[in-house]
Amino acid sequence: MAEWPTQPKVLGTRVPRVDGPAKVSGQARYSSDIQLPGLLIGMILRSRWPAARILRINLDKARKMPGIKAAVAVQEGPRIVRFYGEELAAVAGVSREACEDALRVIEVEAEPLPFVVREEDAKKPDAPRVWEQAPNMPPPRVQETGNVDAAWAECAAIVEGFYTTSVQLHHPMEPHGGTAHWTEEGLTAWISTQGIASVRDGLAGALRLEQSKVRVITEYMGGGFGSKFGPGVEGILAARLSREAGAPVRLMLSRFEESLAVGNRPSSFQRIKLGAKADGTLHVFDYENYGTAGIGAGQATEGGGGGADLPMPYIYQVPNRRIKQTAVAVNAGSARPFRAPGHPVASFGMESAMDELAVKLGMDPLELRIKNDPFEIRRREYKIGAERFGWKEKYRKPGTSPGPVKVGVGVASATWGGGGSRNTRGEVQINPDGTVEVRLGVQDIGTGTRTVAAVVAAEVLGLKPEQIHVKIGDTLYPLGPGSGGSVTAPSVAPTVFDVCTRALEELQKQTGVSDARGDNWKTACKKLGVNPLTVQGRWREGLSSSGVGGVQFAEVAVDTETGLVTVKKILVVQDCGLVVDPLTAESQVNGGVIMGIGMALYEERVMDWQTGLVLNPNYETYKLPSIADVPEIDIILLNMPERGVIGLGEPVHIPTAAAIANAVANAIGVRVPSLPITPRKVLTALGQVPVRRSSAT
Amino acid sequence: MDWFATNRTMKESDNPSVSQLSRREFFKGLGTTALAAATSQAQSVAQELRKLQAEKVFGPGAVPVTLHVNGKIHRLEVEPRVTLLDALRNHLGLTGSKEGCDRASCGACTVWLDGRAIYACQKLAIDSQGHEITTIEGLAPNGQLTPVQRAFVDRDALQCGYCTPGFVMSVSALLRKKPQPTPEEVIHACAGNICRCGTHPRIVEAALIAAGRPAASTPRTEVISYG
Amino acid sequence: MRPFEYVTATSIETARQLLGANGHYLAGGNDLLGRLKDDITEAVRLVNIKGIGALRHIEPGPDRWQIGALVTIAEIEDHAELRKIFPGLQQAAAEVGSQQIRNVATLGGNLAQHSRCWYYRHRDIQCLKKRGRICYALEGDNRYHALFTGNVCISPVVSNLAIALTALDATAVIWRDGQERRLTMAELYELAWDNPTAHHSLRPGDLLLRVEIPTKRPRSAYLQVSEKHSFDWALVSCAAAARLENGRIYDARVALGCISPVPHQVAAANQFLEGKPLERDVAEKAADLLLTGAEPHEHNAYKIPMARALIRRTLLQLGT
Repeated sequence: MAEWPTQPKVLGTRVPRVDGPAKVSGQARYSSDIQLPGLLIGMILRSRWPAARILRINLDKARKMPGIKAAVAVQEGPRIVRFYGEELAAVAGVSREACEDALRVIEVEAEPLPFVVREEDAKKPDAPRVWEQAPNMPPPRVQETGNVDAAWAECAAIVEGFYTTSVQLHHPMEPHGGTAHWTEEGLTAWISTQGIASVRDGLAGALRLEQSKVRVITEYMGGGFGSKFGPGVEGILAARLSREAGAPVRLMLSRFEESLAVGNRPSSFQRIKLGAKADGTLHVFDYENYGTAGIGAGQATEGGGGGADLPMPYIYQVPNRRIKQTAVAVNAGSARPFRAPGHPVASFGMESAMDELAVKLGMDPLELRIKNDPFEIRRREYKIGAERFGWKEKYRKPGTSPGPVKVGVGVASATWGGGGSRNTRGEVQINPDGTVEVRLGVQDIGTGTRTVAAVVAAEVLGLKPEQIHVKIGDTLYPLGPGSGGSVTAPSVAPTVFDVCTRALEELQKQTGVSDARGDNWKTACKKLGVNPLTVQGRWREGLSSSGVGGVQFAEVAVDTETGLVTVKKILVVQDCGLVVDPLTAESQVNGGVIMGIGMALYEERVMDWQTGLVLNPNYETYKLPSIADVPEIDIILLNMPERGVIGLGEPVHIPTAAAIANAVANAIGVRVPSLPITPRKVLTALGQVPVRRSSAT
Repeated sequence: MDWFATNRTMKESDNPSVSQLSRREFFKGLGTTALAAATSQAQSVAQELRKLQAEKVFGPGAVPVTLHVNGKIHRLEVEPRVTLLDALRNHLGLTGSKEGCDRASCGACTVWLDGRAIYACQKLAIDSQGHEITTIEGLAPNGQLTPVQRAFVDRDALQCGYCTPGFVMSVSALLRKKPQPTPEEVIHACAGNICRCGTHPRIVEAALIAAGRPAASTPRTEVISYG
Repeated sequence: MRPFEYVTATSIETARQLLGANGHYLAGGNDLLGRLKDDITEAVRLVNIKGIGALRHIEPGPDRWQIGALVTIAEIEDHAELRKIFPGLQQAAAEVGSQQIRNVATLGGNLAQHSRCWYYRHRDIQCLKKRGRICYALEGDNRYHALFTGNVCISPVVSNLAIALTALDATAVIWRDGQERRLTMAELYELAWDNPTAHHSLRPGDLLLRVEIPTKRPRSAYLQVSEKHSFDWALVSCAAAARLENGRIYDARVALGCISPVPHQVAAANQFLEGKPLERDVAEKAADLLLTGAEPHEHNAYKIPMARALIRRTLLQLGT
């Protein structure tokens, strides 16, 4: 098994990302920036009905509009659409304006059908069915261990709670879509994606092309967070429009469309009953959950929950447990993986119940966790974090902070895999002038893939990271995994180690230079003559592993008169094996935390039950954290080089929302059991809101 | 780079548009004297244009529009409904300014209009005539990074990078106006930019470092070796 | 956006002439272009009024200040002297949108902006305000909606500056039918109280020229609560202005935003404050008077305690 050098020169140092200059100067070309001669703009016509039978789509008038070069229907013949925003047709034209005008004249004949968009409505037996063949909410799958019913009698403390989370939207800054160019040689597609290989295969499959005829290029992409693995309907439409128009077509979704049809995180409605013995040992867990993954929940009724299932009782081991989970279909866009799928939602439910239990037991919530956490690294993280955070000084009994602005603290934790993909391939080319090109068929979703590769290559070859030219984002390069599950760094780093180690050996063999690294590099390379040295390699065992824990501490201030929650501080204690580049690793931690703040306090897709539409399809009313909402973020990374590289992007997002929710409850003495924790919900929990009438449901 | 110093004496709050002199100084500070010439040329062109255009009805079809972008004059034919962002990206090939929302709410399209940060998506191209537009490509035309850009790279104040040009424009506009901003002023100036990757703390640090406040660069992070 | 014509006006008179039957004045464009993009507003022609120099000035005076309708929000925010004379107006300006918006948004545009109701703003919802049949917010998600209204539509006024200027008892001067007309802030919005399709009292063709603000209330303050800490619409906003003598309040005016289609004022509250000491109990009693008769809907009753706190805090801030 391979090993990382014990005295690294570059690994573990703070290396600014190698593509930073391109990004800060506007030179980095994203899929949406591709300029080609004769480039057309593409645009999609979407269903205005949350459910309808589409009888006929007439594109004739659209085709005749000035500047329109192609128009295609998503599907020929009658069909049923099941959510507002489902794709119907698309046009390509010389400008945005030409396309907008053409979309207006497309005639769609449709019979509106009954619809249901709210979970609480959809689960009623008489609700309109999202999928004809199955009820919206199938009976739950039940997993039972031990004897739940008998175990309650053995508990010293029992708590019950009902915790809910909202559907969240990914909202990457660069929308979905890309540029497609279909020629006789094949299809080239610049797609904003997290998986160039899966997009290539998806396009080839959907368009009945040989995979060898499809090339996907993603030099830069503007975020995905789990929503950008496939070509999407929009990618396929861009290719079809290009074929029909005989010209390249750029089809990027609008922010409005991003809110409808390209994925979301399922909601959750979690009923938890948790019991412990007098010493705090968890003893029994009774759990019911359902959530919606939109129409995806209905498609999945034969199997899983369309992504709505949660890993419970999350990081804890409870001997007696009963877990019932199902999903409810509604007329809304399908869920897709969303940064650490299931985990932040599970963490919120479980960690909320843990804090309630601690209060009931009269225990410090931190002690209760340490007592019940089976993972040794995390138990030590609690202790390291508590000291850094000043937990003992800051933690008080819930609600005892003086008002009107009350402060509180909370803690929560995470588990994640983050191992590498053994199928990763790569190659390196060493040129006679000493320049080095590393080529990897992977993509950078913003985590710093090029930089990770440059750091490892520089380490092995004895060079500086800026001397390494890392080429990624092209299916012509040896392919690696999609960027999901925090696998990219642990896939790329061992692969680059392998190809560079082999290349170095080969270089030394060919040139007779015994050690070609560092100062000898140029001399050795010159001896290559006219032909560069190209070496391929693959992921190597022993340089990465998986399985991390993380804990986060939150400190909040809650204005009990206005309900406004301000996060003052988040402390992150996280292990991720060998830290390749602390600078970019910290950036991922910041990002995970800030996204968690959004989940905790701001983010919620709102559906209107009357019209079936998404009410907040924009950044104005689907609220993301901005720079003024960001607290001090304190980060401790546990460096464990002997474990090799482990992914970091997802685990650091998991516990933030739960820690904030616990801190809010600690501050005000009552729990807001529903995310996001808005001023409205805080004032309601505090009993300050006059009750007008019961909910319409 | 000394262009912050050059502009420190400007009194922008007194005048909605930056004076011609300071503008020229500004471009000179960027190291491109050719641009300075283009700038004054653009001024007279713009004045002529304004006279010609007053009270004449244009459109709704494509009409001639003259834009002064990054010190260069561009003549294009676009409909009045074309936004400045669309004109920059799709007609002039300046794709550094990004489209994130097209509704004046994310800041990925932030450019300068006469030195002030605006959303290019919520401004008509035809309504941008006679003003000096600066895009991210115009900040460092010779490939040399400005102190703000350098600080963004050094502090890793970016991840996917899609929002980055907009943030750089917002921070740079602030530093022209307030060369020594407080963290609160940086936040106030950047609240109109969204970053979904979550780089915000680094952006505040980068802005303060670019303003010569090294205290802000103290890393709060600790890597504990743990075996 | 649908196609439209574009013309630049150089004077108030020609602006009105050029507007024609279905034209819109274009200043900062933040609100207008958003509505055009979402097909909420139709326009045959946009008349750019930014060339009308007469509307661009801030003119201080001993008894009153004049602020032209084309003065940007950023200019109001950054104006050092205005900040001293009308701190409440400056605070309201600083909370408008973002820096990019404040740099182009104008006083006139802020006052004349349309409702932000998410039913009204949705391109595929034909609500009462868009001359449809019903107000969907009544039975729908009305978390951001009004506690008071004189008609069926429950979308509230959201202009920050309207609230601050109401408390300062400003006068809006508009150009209507070829002459200047003077409207109180209440008059500038009163049509929206009765008429569900109105956002303010301006008729097509009316042009806001300036506001005039009396200097007789040297103390003023503006506070708002939003869900986020910046660049977010207020859930409730409150402005107060008064003269203080020996700790007592005179000529007080309090106005609330985001809870009514008009800047919410209650004469009895203003009268109650006259001559009272600036104390917590007094402020709370004023809050009671201001919120009497509030009619919450399913999701917006939280605005009542929030408004109560804001009124007290805003009034007490007058003394600081």
